[in-house]
Amino acid sequence: MTNIKHIDSVLKSVEKPGRYIGGEFGAVIKDKESVACRFAFLFPDTYEIGMSNLGVRILYDVLNREQDIWCERAYAPWVDMKEKMERYGIPLYALESGDPVSEFDLVGFSLQYEMCYTTALSMMKLAGIPIYSRDRGEEVPIIIAGGPCVYNPEPVADFFDLINIGEGEEVLLEISRLYIQMKKDGSYTRSAFLRRAADIEGVYIPSLYEVSYNADGTIRAFTPREAGVPAKIKKRIVADLDKAPYPEGLVMPYIQTVHDRVVLEVYRGCIRGCRFCQAGMVYRPIREKSPETLCRQAKCLYESSGYDEISLISLSISDYSRLRELTDGLLEWTDDERVSLSLPSLRLDSFSEELMQRISSVRQGGLTFAPEAGTQRLRDVINKNVTEDDLVRAVDIAFRGGKNSVKLYFMNGLPTETLLDIEGIAATAKRVVDCYFALPKPERPKGGVSVTVSVSCFIPKPFTPFQWEAQDSLASLRMKQQHLKEAITDRRVRYTYHDAEVSVIEAILARGDRRIAPAIALAVERGANLDAWDEFFDYDRWMSAFRDTGVDTDFYTTRGFGTDEILPWDMIDIGVTKSFLLRERERAYAEKTTPSCQESCSGCGANKLGGKNRWCK
Amino acid sequence: MVQINEPCTVRVKFKKVGRLKFVSHLDLVRTVMKVIVRAGLPLRFSEGFNPKPKLSFAAPLSTGVESVCEYMDIKLYKRVPEDEVVAMLNKNLTDELCALLAYYPESKFTELGFIDYRIELDLLSATEALCLDIEKALTSPLVIVKKGKGGEREVDISPMIRNVSCKLEGGKILLECCLSSSPAEFLSPELMIKALKDKLGILKEENLTEEGYTVMRTEAYFADMRPFR
Repeated sequence: MTNIKHIDSVLKSVEKPGRYIGGEFGAVIKDKESVACRFAFLFPDTYEIGMSNLGVRILYDVLNREQDIWCERAYAPWVDMKEKMERYGIPLYALESGDPVSEFDLVGFSLQYEMCYTTALSMMKLAGIPIYSRDRGEEVPIIIAGGPCVYNPEPVADFFDLINIGEGEEVLLEISRLYIQMKKDGSYTRSAFLRRAADIEGVYIPSLYEVSYNADGTIRAFTPREAGVPAKIKKRIVADLDKAPYPEGLVMPYIQTVHDRVVLEVYRGCIRGCRFCQAGMVYRPIREKSPETLCRQAKCLYESSGYDEISLISLSISDYSRLRELTDGLLEWTDDERVSLSLPSLRLDSFSEELMQRISSVRQGGLTFAPEAGTQRLRDVINKNVTEDDLVRAVDIAFRGGKNSVKLYFMNGLPTETLLDIEGIAATAKRVVDCYFALPKPERPKGGVSVTVSVSCFIPKPFTPFQWEAQDSLASLRMKQQHLKEAITDRRVRYTYHDAEVSVIEAILARGDRRIAPAIALAVERGANLDAWDEFFDYDRWMSAFRDTGVDTDFYTTRGFGTDEILPWDMIDIGVTKSFLLRERERAYAEKTTPSCQESCSGCGANKLGGKNRWCK
Repeated sequence: MVQINEPCTVRVKFKKVGRLKFVSHLDLVRTVMKVIVRAGLPLRFSEGFNPKPKLSFAAPLSTGVESVCEYMDIKLYKRVPEDEVVAMLNKNLTDELCALLAYYPESKFTELGFIDYRIELDLLSATEALCLDIEKALTSPLVIVKKGKGGEREVDISPMIRNVSCKLEGGKILLECCLSSSPAEFLSPELMIKALKDKLGILKEENLTEEGYTVMRTEAYFADMRPFR
């Protein structure tokens, strides 16, 4: 890092210089002359957020286990640092070596949320890498994207040379191996490499496909440009998580990050099938790790990190079939070592007194539950499968256990929603307050009760039963937010809601096709960066970028997509079939719930991907 | 629960150099706590509802300053041989932040009296003459405005500065001095440099990337100038 001109005086003049220095315990240092492939893992958000990301932790470890591959990291600089880097000509550099990202062989971006797209492009610019794939010459690194956003890769397809669909542990290694081999035997050219990479399962090379459109703007066809290029790109999964590599040590940040703790991934997938939830569909099939594996990984990571908290993560932790065994195993030593356990994704219907007492994170602070909708009718529509009784039971336990603050997550703008459902949110919150006062006075926790209602705006995401739905208009979302504000009369209920403008842009970026890429590029040119941060999000800048590139935003938001239409993401095969999603959509309209995978198989199609320790047959 | 069989305090002399000078004191404390856990040292925790490891530092280092003479005290519930303490810690640290020495101390941190600093000024106007000016400025009365609880007041910092030596070396100005560092009279090198800036008009903001300075702590002493231990 000392190889960067002016870096010392620049670091002295920016906020939190610890973000930009690297040198952490656990960071992997190799000899750059003796490795065959240098991989830069880029996270399009700040260091504090990126360092906490489990995917980055896993893939950094996977790549660095290989002797001849050196994986380094880079994060998005905060605005003060970015401005100084631009002013003094400091290119985006990797934290381990301090070398410019543009000198690497492969550069991978992790796209975790749509609002990070502009940050990713800003990072490319700061690295001196052309943002459009077609403008990159032979000497430029291969630019890769992966992460949950790329299940609809089309809005950013023109910016990436290669997109990893699905889990990256195996795919990234195969890509790196192919790169090394082609460099060695002299057959490497950019296009030859990309053509061969297209044969790797889970790899999508956007430049090898052509999209044509109908007069009404819908997609006419999505076709490979060459014979032999797969017409459908199948999502990649890791079959056996007990055997999959998991980091034994972590890169230990000096500065505080969002999750300074050991993160233990318990299983992938979800048995629930909430109809609005993209993660619940795209991470199928469910694959569990055994408690033995998890206990071993937890102990190892604790000893190598010194963190005093272990967080058990998955989409819905209480659905883990062997949770009791796992917590028993962990509690054998965690209490003595003053290590606390946290379970961040508890469902209402599984919350018990015993769990509350066992899990320390539940012991401190408030509790958060997600009923998602205000009436049973709408909860049935979205297949949330929790009842108001579940909520009453859960908060009663919480209040008796000494908690006095409860946070409730809801969505508005859900399909079939009426004002009655909105009022139901207020009524549900009131019901929670009533539960507190229903307790005899001596049993109530001190300090009164506080209920926070946090409402986000529904976005019809690709690969969900609601993928065809129209998004509520901005006016309607705002009207509903206002309606709820008026419906909440109890002063013990605090109401917060998401900016509906962000949700509109998010919907366009989530549901768009290749025609919106110029708008993203233009927004970046006009200064869009760190859009996931409220203070930098600028709705008008976005809307004018769409307007000036000829994008009709309503086409992607308030227009319902036809079931016979070719959707931008139809070429991706996530395992779950379109016919299952359609069936689920019909059941939603019929207000019928669907049992969880644990109760019975609904034939979603994900079982054909294989995978061990799953519910499906 | 662990048995407290021989409570004791071990002192660790450590260095913090290179890019790790940008790690703030608060972040350093957090880091060291995790390092001690990783190292497996028999750390003593405070009593009470929210047990915290018992750890203290001598004169905290400002962000951006390097040092090869930092000290921290770690309370243990069991005596561990000195060499082992160093080895256990260093297995969990990097070259830029690591233990140099460990011992069971007889002094307190409040007995710290002076610290030697090595300051490199990278100036466009680095000349022998400027070196003399700097030396002169630091050895005659140098008044600064200090903001304290009782509002602003003027302080002459020159009695807190000793052993000044200033010379040109490789195009840069090398300034070595010893600053009072007792709890009652602590002079930070930043404050002294600010006084020099104001008095001599050096280190102007517009020269941010051409001019700059680095500071390193090189040695610590008791009030009577015996090496601190």
